[in-house]
Amino acid sequence: MNLIDVQNLHFSYPEGIELLKGIDLAFDHRSTAIIGQNGAGKTTFVKLLKGLLKPVSGDILINGVNTKEISVAKLAAHIGLVFQNPGDQIFKSSVYDEVIFGPHNIGIPEDEADESTKKALIEVGLENKVNDNPYDLSFSERKLISIASILAMNTQIVLLDEPTIAQDDYGKQLIQGLVRKLEGEGRLVISILHDMDFVAETFTRTLVFQNGKVTMDNDTKSVFSQTEAVRRAYLEPPHVTQLGNRLGYTETYLTAEQFVKDSLRKREEFKQ
Amino acid sequence: MQNISLYVNKKSFVHDVDFLTKLIYIFVFIAIPIISGSVIIGLLAILISLILHTCAGVLKKLIPIVALSLFVLLSVIIVQAAFIPGYHIVFFSLGPVHFYQEGLIHASLIIVRFLDILLVSSLTVLTTRPSDIVETLQRKGLSHRMGYVINSIFQIIPQMVSSMKTISDAQRSRGMETEGNLFVRVKAFLPLIGPVVISSLVGTRERAMALEARAFSADAKRTYFHEEMKYRYKTPVRIILLLLLVVSIIWRVL
Ligand SMILES: Nc1ncnc2c1ncn2[C@@H]1O[C@H](COP(=O)(O)OP(=O)(O)OP(=O)(O)O)[C@@H](O)[C@H]1O
Ligand SMILES: [Mg+2]
Repeated sequence: MNLIDVQNLHFSYPEGIELLKGIDLAFDHRSTAIIGQNGAGKTTFVKLLKGLLKPVSGDILINGVNTKEISVAKLAAHIGLVFQNPGDQIFKSSVYDEVIFGPHNIGIPEDEADESTKKALIEVGLENKVNDNPYDLSFSERKLISIASILAMNTQIVLLDEPTIAQDDYGKQLIQGLVRKLEGEGRLVISILHDMDFVAETFTRTLVFQNGKVTMDNDTKSVFSQTEAVRRAYLEPPHVTQLGNRLGYTETYLTAEQFVKDSLRKREEFKQ
Repeated sequence: MQNISLYVNKKSFVHDVDFLTKLIYIFVFIAIPIISGSVIIGLLAILISLILHTCAGVLKKLIPIVALSLFVLLSVIIVQAAFIPGYHIVFFSLGPVHFYQEGLIHASLIIVRFLDILLVSSLTVLTTRPSDIVETLQRKGLSHRMGYVINSIFQIIPQMVSSMKTISDAQRSRGMETEGNLFVRVKAFLPLIGPVVISSLVGTRERAMALEARAFSADAKRTYFHEEMKYRYKTPVRIILLLLLVVSIIWRVL
């Protein structure tokens, strides 16, 4: 069974234009990036998956359960969402309380909840800020708190809305590690991103949202190999991909390592 | 974000009238029926206000306002007509309760005045942009600090509502039940209060800094974002309104 099934999904906000115009998707455990220009409806889509918004028509099944037939709170044990803006998510006055809030609500026993809270804080590198007030921390740290508060719930599905916002290289590496680790554990990570280099290096599958539809859906390499189509969606392909294209390489490069390795090999071949 | 102000953004000659002229209209149209003491004049004032509501395209918005006040009106009738001692002529009876004619006449006078006040003020509220009200007052010498406070009052409630929705989304996203029967809702509401107050305090601090960063407390002469509303017929309309008032006073005295 698919972890998530989206069937003929239509959505518009009250008094708004139709934002999602018939989306059909199935998600297995492959880590998936959602990209698309500002206002394409990406955030709206993940809020629909989370059950915070309900389809105007069509259905969303999470582990076979229709989001229309279950409360958001009950669904929370299966699917976690890290909000685009951490300010929309954080409301407790200590980092520890904030992170353990979810595990308590979904009925994880106290010692287990404490353990997974501490583990999640170590995973995002905030183990030294356990007793700080989140309001006193920086934006990037608050984003990491909101990620930890979802990790601590150990949900099968993790939705991330622009996790790399305001993160330096250290933060991005850390998030990349988390996505890979979750994918390795057979858990589904779906993440919205604007950083194409990060998408290329991190995600197995990529979806492009445009004009209320999913216009591209394939493994990340295939998506970025269609440079023209990517540009038509007002997106810029990853920098290494562009570099490879400009140099006339036929291969689509997603990481600098791969690009360098191939270039060196080509140089050797040329010398001989 | 929804707005608590009842202002309806439309184009009509009523919308074009400036706030001060509307204030004079409120005063005159409330004063005349009271001075005249006549139900007919009161009804006439109501009729005119109704016509103006129609012209402004805000008649529909009036329905819930009047409907809400029906409860008040009904209790006025019952108390005035049935429970004030000293009346004699029974108009009709409902079981053991007698409704007296004098009481009903008195009640109708009160109701007409009440409706008149309601309609006259609702016309102004429905057709004047809150920020225009504040800017008019500031041009007439209200301090910009007070102006800011008044503007904030129009914003604070929708802001609270939207921050409550945000926090409740954050809570149910992480497994706290907020949907269901009344008990569940109340239980979910209580823990909301702390975060909503804190987030509005934090917001206030940030806003104060944002305002200062843009010289809120500077002493320089201020300019305004909206142009001052220049209502073409403001002088004749104001004169006519005041004349009406004078006439009704003279008519009453004679
Ligand atoms: N609560 C709301 N009510 C009405 N319209 C909304 C609401 N939230 C978002 N919108 C509108 O829906 C459209 C899509 O918004 P959404 O946040 O889903 O886009 P997005 O793809 O996440 O964009 P971004 O990359 O900028 O985050 C936007 O035009 C936005 O203004
Ligand atoms: Mg978004």
